[in-house]
Amino acid sequence: MSAELLSRLVTLLSFAALGLTILLIVRTRLEGQVRVFGLQSLVLALLSVLIALYTGRLELFGVGLALLVIKGIIIPRVLHRAVTKIGIVRVAAPYLGTAPALVICALLTIVAFYVMTPIATTNPLPTADAMPLAFAGVLTGFFIMVNRRRAVTQILGFLMLENGIFLLALLTTYGVPFVVEMGVFLDVLVAVLIMEVFVCHIKDNFDSIDVGELGTLKE
Amino acid sequence: MMLLSLLLIPLIATGLIAVARQRVLIELLHVGSALVTLGVAAAIAVEIWHSSVLIAAGDLFRVDALSALMVAIITSLGAITSVYAVGYIRAELSDAHLRRVRLFFALFQLFIFTMVVAVTTDNLGVMWIAVEGTTLATVFLVNLRHTRTSLEAAYKYLILSSVGIALAFIGTALIYYAGAGKAGEIAVNWSTLRAGAGSLNGDVVRLAFIFILVGYGTKAGLVPMHTWLPDAHSEAPAPISALMSGVLLNVGLYAMMRFKAIVDAALGPAFAANLLIGVGLLSLLIAAAFLIAQRNYKRMLAYSSVEHIGIVCLGLGFGGYWGVFGAVFHVVNHALAKSLLFIVSGNILLKYHSAEIRDVRGLMRASPWTGALFLAGVLALIGLPPFAPFISEFIIFRSGLESYPWAAAMGVILLVVVFGGMLASVNSMLYGEPPADIENGGGLRLWLAPLAVNFALLLALGLTLPASFEGAIKQVVQIVGV
Repeated sequence: MSAELLSRLVTLLSFAALGLTILLIVRTRLEGQVRVFGLQSLVLALLSVLIALYTGRLELFGVGLALLVIKGIIIPRVLHRAVTKIGIVRVAAPYLGTAPALVICALLTIVAFYVMTPIATTNPLPTADAMPLAFAGVLTGFFIMVNRRRAVTQILGFLMLENGIFLLALLTTYGVPFVVEMGVFLDVLVAVLIMEVFVCHIKDNFDSIDVGELGTLKE
Repeated sequence: MMLLSLLLIPLIATGLIAVARQRVLIELLHVGSALVTLGVAAAIAVEIWHSSVLIAAGDLFRVDALSALMVAIITSLGAITSVYAVGYIRAELSDAHLRRVRLFFALFQLFIFTMVVAVTTDNLGVMWIAVEGTTLATVFLVNLRHTRTSLEAAYKYLILSSVGIALAFIGTALIYYAGAGKAGEIAVNWSTLRAGAGSLNGDVVRLAFIFILVGYGTKAGLVPMHTWLPDAHSEAPAPISALMSGVLLNVGLYAMMRFKAIVDAALGPAFAANLLIGVGLLSLLIAAAFLIAQRNYKRMLAYSSVEHIGIVCLGLGFGGYWGVFGAVFHVVNHALAKSLLFIVSGNILLKYHSAEIRDVRGLMRASPWTGALFLAGVLALIGLPPFAPFISEFIIFRSGLESYPWAAAMGVILLVVVFGGMLASVNSMLYGEPPADIENGGGLRLWLAPLAVNFALLLALGLTLPASFEGAIKQVVQIVGV
């Protein structure tokens, strides 16, 4: 595989990953949102394998596999279980509707290009062109967390932010060392398991998963 | 070997507590582990004092003077708090809640373990994992009481800290990228990065430090990512508040100090200094605003933590030998004073069953020991002589007047505001007629005995600066860089 082909494929897949993050804003059903996240993890696993093939780094195959298992299968299952357990609850509208939210996403993408392009152009790796796309995914995930009031969507926003960061590290330096990457996956998995417990607690206590109702603690 | 046992003792204790059946056994394991860890930490500190660096497990763990200072703070306050935690949890949870008692003590030890890993590892990726681990270990502790408010605090804490730490990961990955070309294929370590910092790509380092500052600043409780802190610190059980405020915030600061040393070597001191002074002043300002008419005494202590972490950032930003010296000294003083106050606040909460300042009256008459310790702690915290925080704040602002006079002057004005606000609140708690349904004395008076250590140190360091202590701080200052 030539460097140019890799660069194009990587940019294409990174674009797909960003597209999936934005799709989360459009989707309103929780099951659909969970599936979008699973799909994005699959895209990232594919990207790791692609870069592993190009560079011949064995550990990147391992990273791709772990990503597929933890973020592509286990975490979506955990979240799906939480969604089923919660059942039908009052729907909490996001703070901003779909159309303004998409405008914000476009602005965030511009910001991402503004911040990351200077660093991407000095980076010699063939994957570096897609760095702004990955950073746009990080910012969009952050925006989803702030904008959505349902706890499950907030968790998905966090996970997409995590995916964006993973992608950014992958594109910038072919990923951080293997031990660290595995530790990060483990942390994310434990965090999601804890978040699931909390979502169920919130449902039991407030009869809703609208985090806007968590407003007792004020000055 | 010594270093590995420091890491393994709390980890093994976590496992043993998780399977222990009797409450007494759990408590013994818990206190025993905390005391043995403290002993090992003391031995390590002596070793560092003589030979300056300890290395274990290849290059994964490396303890220098800065790490040793953090280990000393974690383990000594861990030991003091662990003793009080036994008494506090006995008062809070009866034997019927044995499962929650076990969870509490197991997570307490796990919390200590993650903090010790974070400050002793040489690998910045492993440190990141450990710092995220501190959040995961403490989130159930914040929600120990299972009330609506504690649930809310714990959820906010988990989400905000996770996002913050995720941003810190971007910074870590960027530094890794900046250093990967220089350091070869090995995982990037503090020691190799620091040595090769002069040749790192400036643009990348600059962007990385901004992410680091926001990310680890979230864990350190710096404005604007501090909003989880007053909720979590006020809802957590008192011993955990003491550790989160007195110790965990310092772990966030520790990460920032390590990165600052690299950034200074790569870019010169001005870049990090301006950012640190900016967030420091902002933290001081927001904390002062919320301290003026605070209604809840645990939240008051929490905002005061935001204030003091801001002061430490100012010291680091003002720079020069004395600025950094004051900052490191202030880390120690704040840890001592704040853990003392949060522990005492646990006693007040158990006695008055309310965290509202207006419900607490006549503390001096109702329980003189608790009241006197609370008063001493607050006087130390707001920077009155003869206590040590006065000295460290004086050193910081004295050096600031030379390098950044306007920022230092604003800082001093804000300190005066905090001084007035806190003193007024505390005054109304200490004096007056206690409510009729409060019985005098009793409570957990005896469990406060270990706080004599905090008090004695605050007083001693305020009156004299022993040459050995000054020498130790000096070693730390050299690592942080002036």
